[in-house]
Amino acid sequence: MPEAPLPVAVAAPPLRRQAGPPPMVLFGLVWLSLMLVVALLADLISPYAYTALDLRNRLSPPIGFGGTWLHPLGTDELGRDVLARLIYSIRTSLLIAFGATIIGALVGTSLGFLAAHFRGLVEQAVLALVDFSASLPFLILALSVLAFFGNSMVLLICLLGLHAWERYARIARGLALSAGAQGYAAAVRQLGASPWRIYGRHVLPNIASTLIVSMTLAFPEIILLESGLSFLGLGVQPPETSLGSMVGYGREYLTRAPWILLAPAITIVVTTLSVSLIGDWLRDRLDPTLR
Amino acid sequence: MLRFLAVRVLRAALTIALVVTFAFVVLRLSGDPAQIIMGADAPPEAVDAFRTAWGLDRPVWEQYFHYFGAILSGDLGRSMRDGRDAIVLVLERIPATLALTLPALAVKLALGIPAGVYAALHRNSLADRMVMVVAVAGFTVPSFVLGLLLVLVFAVQFGWLPSGGQESWKHAILPVVTLGFGGAAVLARFTRSAMLEVLGQPYIRTASAKGVPWRAVVTGHALPNAAIPTVTIIGFMVGSLIAGAVVVESVFSWPGVGRLLVVAVANRDLAVVQCILLLVAATMVMANLVVDLLYGLLDPRLRNQPRAAGGL
Repeated sequence: MPEAPLPVAVAAPPLRRQAGPPPMVLFGLVWLSLMLVVALLADLISPYAYTALDLRNRLSPPIGFGGTWLHPLGTDELGRDVLARLIYSIRTSLLIAFGATIIGALVGTSLGFLAAHFRGLVEQAVLALVDFSASLPFLILALSVLAFFGNSMVLLICLLGLHAWERYARIARGLALSAGAQGYAAAVRQLGASPWRIYGRHVLPNIASTLIVSMTLAFPEIILLESGLSFLGLGVQPPETSLGSMVGYGREYLTRAPWILLAPAITIVVTTLSVSLIGDWLRDRLDPTLR
Repeated sequence: MLRFLAVRVLRAALTIALVVTFAFVVLRLSGDPAQIIMGADAPPEAVDAFRTAWGLDRPVWEQYFHYFGAILSGDLGRSMRDGRDAIVLVLERIPATLALTLPALAVKLALGIPAGVYAALHRNSLADRMVMVVAVAGFTVPSFVLGLLLVLVFAVQFGWLPSGGQESWKHAILPVVTLGFGGAAVLARFTRSAMLEVLGQPYIRTASAKGVPWRAVVTGHALPNAAIPTVTIIGFMVGSLIAGAVVVESVFSWPGVGRLLVVAVANRDLAVVQCILLLVAATMVMANLVVDLLYGLLDPRLRNQPRAAGGL
C-alpha cells in the first residue's frame, strides 16, 4: 500500500547530543587528570631529585633506544634524569598556567563588572585599557616588562595572568549589562542587596559557564606563552625547570640526545591539545554565544 | 563615513598615547631613567646632561610631556651595549625580519584561506576533517617545537637544509615554513568557522532558492560576508610582521628584530626594548586602523553606525 504508516524513526525527535564526551575529549580529560596527579604528587613519584646528577650515566638514551630502566627517559649532559626533570617541569608549568589563568579571570571579570556597574568614566577607562591590551602582541608586552623589572616566579605568574584579561573583561561587562536589564538583578537590587551580593551571588553564577569556557581557551595559550618565554631563557630561571626551559636546554643537544627535547615537547603538545579539545567541547555544550 | 573615519583615527591615536604612557610609567617604576637609558657606566656629567635634556629634574607631569615630545621627535635613547641610537639599531634589523615574515604571510594566506573555504564548503568530508586536524595541530604545537622538529628532520637527518643563520635563501626556508604553518592553521580554522556561519544564513538559502548557481552564491554572497571577520585576523597578522617572529628567529639564529629584542631583554638594554615596543605598537595600531577602514568598505552597515562596530 502506498499509504503505509511512516517508519517510527522519522517521527522520533532529532538525535540529541551524545550523553558522554566523545573519545578525543575523554582522552583529553584523562591526560589532564594525569598531568594534575603528576604535578600534585611530584615529590612522591619522581625517581630522583630533579637536580640530582648521575655522572656515570650522562646522555644515556631512553628505553627502546638502548637505555635501561635506571633512567626510563634517559639523562641529559649532566646525568640528570629526564623523567624526574619532566615531572617537576610539569609541576612548574601547570602551577604557572593555573595561577595565571585564575589571575586573568579575576582581574578581567572584576574590571568588567566595575565597568558595567559604574558606567561613565570608569567604563571608558576600562575600554581604553582593553584597546591597549589588544593593540600589542602579548609576547612583546611580556618581554618588555621582564626587561624593565627583571625576572621572578611571582612576577612571571602575575604577568602571564594579564594575558587575556581583556577577554574576560569584555565578556563580564557585556553579560553584566544584559543581566542588569533582566528582572532578577533588578529584583535583588530592589530587595536591598549590596552590589557585592548582586554581582557575586546572582550575576556571576549566571555568566560562569561563559567565563569557564574562556578560561579553557586561555589556559593552553598561557602554557604556550610560558614555554615560549622559558625556551628563550627569559621565563622560568634555573635551577627551576619548566617544560619550555627543558626544550630550550635540550636544543643544545638536538643531534646527540634528541630525547632531552622530545619528552617535554611532546608533553606540551599533548597537554595544550587536551585542554583545547576539552575547551571546544565545553563551548559547544555550555555556551551557544561563543564560537 | 567621515565621522566613522574620525572616530577610528582618534581611537588609534589614543591607543598609541596609552602605549607611550605605559612605557613612561614602567620606565619610571624601574629606577632612574637617565641611568637606565644612558647605561650604568655612563659618566656622571653625561647623565646630568641627559637629565636636563629630558627634564628629569622637573615635576613628573612636565617630564611626561617632555618624554612624549622626545618620542614624537624620534629621540628614543641609545643602546646600552654599543652606544648607538636605539632606533637605528632596530631599523637595521627590519629588512631581515621582513625577509621571513612577508613570505610567511604569503604562505598563510595562500594555504589558510583556500583550506578554510574548502573545508567549510565540504563540511564533514574527509578533506574537512584533515584540515581541522592540521589546524588544531598548528595551534597546539608551539613554533619552537615545530622549528626544532623541522631542523631535526631536514637539517640533521637528511642534511638538505641549513639549521640556522642567514647566508642564502635556503636558510630562510625552514623558518618561513615554521611561521607559515602555524599562521595558516589559525587562518584556516577562522575562515572555516566564518564561512560556516555565513552559509547558515537565510540569505544564502534565498539565493539558492531563487536559482542562483551555487558557484555564484559562494562567490557573490558567502565569500564577501565571510571576509569581514577574516580580515580582522589578517590585520593582526600584518600588524605582527615586525614582531611576529621573536621565537622563530631565536630558533634559527636569524638576525632580525625578534632576535634583537630577546638579546636586549636578556641584557636589560631598555632603550632598545622601549624602541621595539613602540614600533610594534605603532605597526599594530596602523594595521588595526586599516582593518577598521576595510570593514567600512566591506560592510556598509558599519559605516552608518560606527558605535556598534567600535564598542565591545
